[in-house]
Amino acid sequence: MSPLFKAEGIVKRFGERVLFDAASLELETGNGYVLVGPNGSGKTTLLRVLAGLDSAQEGKLVYRAREAAAAGPYPEPWRREIVYAHQQPYLFRTSLADNVEYGLARRGMARERRAALAAEALAWAGLAARHGVPPHRLSGGEKQRAALARAKVLNPVLLLLDEPTANLDGEARAQVLELVRALITESHTVLIATHDPEIIRLAILTRLRVSAQRIEVAE
Amino acid sequence: MDLLEPTRQAFALLFSGDRELWGIIWLSLWVSVAALALLAPLCVPLGFVVARIHFPGRRALVVAMQGFLSFPTVVVGLVLYLVLSRRGPLGAFELLFTPAAILIGYMVIALPILMVFTVAAVQGADSRIYETARCLGARPLRAMGTTLWEVRFAVTAGFVNAFGRVVSEVGCALLVGGNIAGLTRNIPTAIALETSKGEFAYGIALGFVLMVIAVGVNVALAWLQGEGGLE
Repeated sequence: MSPLFKAEGIVKRFGERVLFDAASLELETGNGYVLVGPNGSGKTTLLRVLAGLDSAQEGKLVYRAREAAAAGPYPEPWRREIVYAHQQPYLFRTSLADNVEYGLARRGMARERRAALAAEALAWAGLAARHGVPPHRLSGGEKQRAALARAKVLNPVLLLLDEPTANLDGEARAQVLELVRALITESHTVLIATHDPEIIRLAILTRLRVSAQRIEVAE
Repeated sequence: MDLLEPTRQAFALLFSGDRELWGIIWLSLWVSVAALALLAPLCVPLGFVVARIHFPGRRALVVAMQGFLSFPTVVVGLVLYLVLSRRGPLGAFELLFTPAAILIGYMVIALPILMVFTVAAVQGADSRIYETARCLGARPLRAMGTTLWEVRFAVTAGFVNAFGRVVSEVGCALLVGGNIAGLTRNIPTAIALETSKGEFAYGIALGFVLMVIAVGVNVALAWLQGEGGLE
C-alpha cells in the first residue's frame, strides 16, 4: 500500500545555509509521528513545507498518490485535508466559536451544523464555557487548546502540529498533552514537531529525527 | 469683531433649511464619500498585494506613494486642470468645472493615502493571520479578506485620514470645480468665498457643519473598527 503522504528529495536552503539536502519521509494512514531534532535543525520548516506555507528549492510531495513539486504551488485541495497548527497559534479577533467555525465555513457547511460541531469541539477541548470569550482574553494554554479544537473539527486527514506544548507548564501543558494524545488515538495521521519528552516517549508514535540535513526513523 | 451675531445668523441659516447652503453641504459629502467608495475596491486589495508580494520596483512604488502623501493638493488641481481643460488630453469629455472633475481630483488625492495605510497595515500584520486562514482551507482571496478584517483598525485609519483630507480640501476643488454656485461650490470653497466677501454667518455655518461631518465620520469609522487592535 502506498503511504498517505510522502516527501522525496527535499532540498531547502536559506541563502548559503542548507537545512535539508535530499531529505525524505513517508507517513502512513492512521499513524502518529513525532519529529525530533535540535533547535534550528529545520523541524518547523519541514512542517511548513509539508503544509504548503513555504516552498523548498527541490523535491516533490506526494499525497494520496497525487504529486506536486515542492518548489511549485501547493495543490489547493490538499489544504482542505492537511491542517497545520502553529507553535503559537493565532486566533482571529472574533469569538472563540467563530474561530472554530472558520474552517467549516470555508468548506461551505451550513451555519447550524457549524455551530453544533464547533460547540462539540470546544467541549472536547474543555472550553465550552469560554465559547463567547474574545481570544485575546484567553490564557496561553486555552489558546493552544482552542487551536487544537479548530484543527480537530475539520477532521483532517493529516494533522501537522508544531510544538503544541511549548511555552506551557503545569496544568496548561497537561491539558494540551491530553488533547494531543486524544488526537493520536483517534487515528488521525499526526506529525508533531516537539522537544517535549512526554510526547516523544509516547509508545504509539514513530520517532523521526532530523539529522545531518536528512530525516531518519529513530530507534 | 462681534462673533455672536454672525454665529446666531449661521445657526438660523442652518435650521431654516437654506437650499443653497444644504446644496453645498450635500455636494461636499457625496463627492468625498464617492471618491473613497470608488477607490476602496482598488486600493485596499492593491495595498495588500504590494505589502505581501515581492516584485521588481515594489520599494520604488511605496516610496513614490509616500511622496504623493505630501503633494500639495493645489498642484494636483493644476495638473488635473491641464488634463481636463479643452485642449488637454481628456478635454473632449468636458469634465472641467463639473462635480465629476472634483471627484477625480479627490480620488487622486486619496489614492496614495489609502494605499500607504493599507500597505503599512498589512506589512505590520502578524503573518500567522494569512497563514492560519490558508491552513484552515481559505482560498487566497478569502485569506486576504480575513487578514484585512484583522487589521481593520489600521486600514480604517487610512479612510479617516483620506476623508479628512478631501472633505476639507480647497485648492484642487477650486481649480477644477471653479466654485460655481449650485454646481461645484462645496464647503471649503464656499467658506473661502463667503469669508472674503465678509459674509461670516455663511462661513461659520459651513465651518460648523464641516466639523460635525469630520467628527461624525470618525465616530462611525471608530464603531466600524470595533475592538480591532485595541486589546
